[in-house]
Parts: sequence; structure tokens; C-alpha cells
Amino acid sequence: MAVKLAVSGVGKDFLIPVIESVSFAAEAGEFVCLLGPNGCGKTTLLRIIGGIEPASRGTVLLDGKPVAGDERHDRRVGVVFQEDRLLPWMTLRQNVALVLKPLGLPPGDREATAARYLRLAGLQGFEDYYPSRVSGGMRQRAAIARALAIDPDVLLMDEPFGSLDAQNRRIMQKEVRRIWEQTGRTILFVTHAIEEAVAIGTTLIMLSARPSRVRELVRNDGSVERSKLIDDLNTMIMEEVERQQGGSPV
Amino acid sequence: MIRQRSVDWAARLHLPTMGAALAVTAIWWLLSRRYGAYVLPSPAAVAVGFVGVLRSGEIWRHTGASLYRILLGFGAAVLLALLMGLAAFLSRLARGVVHDALSILNATSVFVWIVISLIWFGLSNWAPIFTTFMITLPVVASNIVEGVENVDRRLLEMGDVYRLGGREKFTAIVIPSTLPYLVAGMKVGFGLALKVSVIAEIFGVTTGIGYIMNYSREILATQMVFVWALVMILVMMVTDKLVFDGLSRRVARWR
Repeated sequence: MAVKLAVSGVGKDFLIPVIESVSFAAEAGEFVCLLGPNGCGKTTLLRIIGGIEPASRGTVLLDGKPVAGDERHDRRVGVVFQEDRLLPWMTLRQNVALVLKPLGLPPGDREATAARYLRLAGLQGFEDYYPSRVSGGMRQRAAIARALAIDPDVLLMDEPFGSLDAQNRRIMQKEVRRIWEQTGRTILFVTHAIEEAVAIGTTLIMLSARPSRVRELVRNDGSVERSKLIDDLNTMIMEEVERQQGGSPV
Repeated sequence: MIRQRSVDWAARLHLPTMGAALAVTAIWWLLSRRYGAYVLPSPAAVAVGFVGVLRSGEIWRHTGASLYRILLGFGAAVLLALLMGLAAFLSRLARGVVHDALSILNATSVFVWIVISLIWFGLSNWAPIFTTFMITLPVVASNIVEGVENVDRRLLEMGDVYRLGGREKFTAIVIPSTLPYLVAGMKVGFGLALKVSVIAEIFGVTTGIGYIMNYSREILATQMVFVWALVMILVMMVTDKLVFDGLSRRVARWR
């Protein structure tokens, strides 16, 4: 399969180097989970890939075209943030339809597309609700519908279920997995929960302590037993957490 | 159930407030008997006076004149305040200037503007209009600028991620999140406008609530001073209820 997303030598300095150099490639349709100790720059890396923040070095190619630090690119990147970031004064349908405007769709098509993706995210019947009228889980579903509606080349998700309770979290993990299976999108999913990554990702990337590099890239294809994989990753992350606490200048 | 309903009705009619008002009126009446009609007219005299201005239509003439001046001065203030908010949104430099200008205006007394407007515009309609404008501008503009500054950066970032243009971000994100601040500022500003414009009306004009109150004082008709004070209070309460409460509910219907 073709390489969809190629991250090479990406680094970021905030006074001190946070990300030293991260490289990896994701094929089309892969579900990549980014793991790592808190503060190792997972979110920053995602923001760089999404073009929200410039990198200090390195390149990010999407379908062979540079996307990081270049606002003129024509690739589509859908982002689901830690918070839902829905506009509270718009209904769920209007929120999704809004991001279709820059794509040049006529209003009628925008509404229809919005409704279709809200249905895909399990929000049929709630299209005309304001975000404040639905639960946190449903708001995050709407945010996912919005990200998918633009027909993204890559879908970036930054700990999207961090604010949900355990039960909703599990439901949403299943939902994302289902949506991924239905749409075949390439997904990059940041999380610090190892069980979550193992439950939904096809490729798991463990970042090292700050300044971060790729510590390990694991194919989650069932060749290693799930519980053993979780144990291994837990051991790894604890080593990195210790290294970060011991070695950081803070 | 019945008990519940009677409590409900009591709250609706502000029964405790009405009780207090009754007590105050009784004390007022006693005091008016002690001090005489020039110092403190009786409640009955005020009521008769109120019905009088209502019948003669005088109430509309003076209230209308005051409201006309307020709408011009206050309306112009709202327009300029909107422009200031826009400037503050577009440029950090402008935001600093607007901030400083507003704190200077905020620190300026009503009386300064009345005196200056008398010098500039003489005894005319423009004195109360200009005074109202200068006093309400900082109140409304401060609110709008605060609203613009409080626009959620994370929502704007979301707009950038999804490639919304500047105009779309402004209409979809900035305006809706600033609207509640605008309405709150207009509510306070309008109340202030009513209080301030009547002071300016003491000088030079021959209509308006401020003029007629001062005139009533000069011809020793103290009960009419009370009548016009009552008119002012009613105008304030009615606009608050009819205009601003409705507006606040409208801009926040998604909450």
C-alpha cells in the first residue's frame, strides 16, 4: 500500500528541545496511535502534523506534499481536539455544515453532508440540538462527524476522550473503531492510555522521554497476545517516565 | 398544591415589595402633612399630577423629546463602540489605543461634558445629545472590547484548522461570542443615558424630562418634580423589560 503520511526528522524546541527528532510513515487506511509519557510532546507533534504549529525542523508529507508550516497546501486535515470545540451558538448540523463552506459546497449539499456524517457518528435525531443540550460524549461524536465531513486525507485525534468517563470512553473507542472500519480513513490518534491504544490502533508508536524520539513502533496485528503487548508497553512507558523525571532540567 | 400556587402568585406580584411600598407611602404621607406641600407633596397630589400629565399628553411630549435625544446620542455611541471593537479585534496596536482612550473617557465627569457642550453647541438640542454620547461611549465600548478579547482562542484555532476565511471566522465565531457583551453594555449604557441626558436638559432646551423637572422646581410645583421622576423610573423599567430582557434572552437562546 501507498504511504499516506510521512513524518521525517520532525523536531520542536520551546527554549529547550521538546521533540528531538521523530520519523515514521503511515500507510493509507492505517490507524496509528501515538503513545508516550506526559509532556513528551505528543500533542505538539500532532499539532505540527496538522499544520497548526510550525516545526523547528523536519518535514511532514501528506500524499507526498508538504503540509507542516505551509498553509497553501491542498490536502485536507481533519482534527478532533481534546475539547469538542463546537460553536455553542450553532446546532450540531450547523457546526458540521460550517466547515464545508470553505470547500465550496452549495448550502443544500452542506446540510445534507452534515446530516450524513452526524448519522455516521450516531447522532441521528440530534441534528438540530445545540451542543449545550447534549452530553459530552455526543459533543465529541459531533466533533468527529465534523472532522470526517470534510473528507480528510488524514484524521488527527488528540486524546479526544480524555474528558469522558470510563464507560463513555469505552463506547467511543468502539465507535471510532467502527467508523474507521466503515470509512477506511488514515487516523493518527494521540493517547496516554495504553489499553486504549491497543484496543483501537493498528500501529502503535511509543515516544521516548523528552526530548522525544520514536522509542518503539509496534504492529498491533494480533501476532503478540494483547495482554502481553499491554504489559510490554507499560514497562516501556514507566522507563520513559522515570527517565524524563530524572533527566529533565525542570 | 393550593398553598404552592398562592406563594407563586405572591412572588409574581412582588407582594412583599408592594407591602414595603405601602409602608413607605404611609410614612411619606405622614411626613408630607408635617412639612407641607412645597417641601414634600403628598402621595395623592403626586398621583393627581401624574394623571394630569397623562391626560394632557404632556407626558409624551417631554418623554418623547428626551428619548429622541437619547437615541441619537446613545445610538451614535453604540455605532462608534462597534467600530472600536472591530479595530480592537483586527489590530493589537488599535486595541491598546482603544483601551487607553476608554480609561480616560471613563474617568471624565458628566459635568465636564455638559459644560463643554454648552460652550460648543450653546443652548440647543446638541448639548444633551453630545453629553449622552460622551458618557455612554466608554461604557458600551468597554463591554464590546472585553467581549472581543474574550473570544475563545481555541474556537478561532478550530476555524483555522478547517480553513475558514477571515469573514467567516468573524461572522461565525467573533460576532456571536461578542453579542452578549454588547447587549449587557447597551443595557447599562441606556440606563446611564437616561440619567445623564436629563441633567444636560436643565440647560438651554424647552422640552424633555430634565427641562420640565427643573421648570416645575422654579414655579414651586414640587409635586410635578415627583411626577416626572416617576415618569423617568417607568421609562427605565419598561425599556429594561421590553427591550433588553428580550434581547438578552434572544442572544443566549443556545445556552
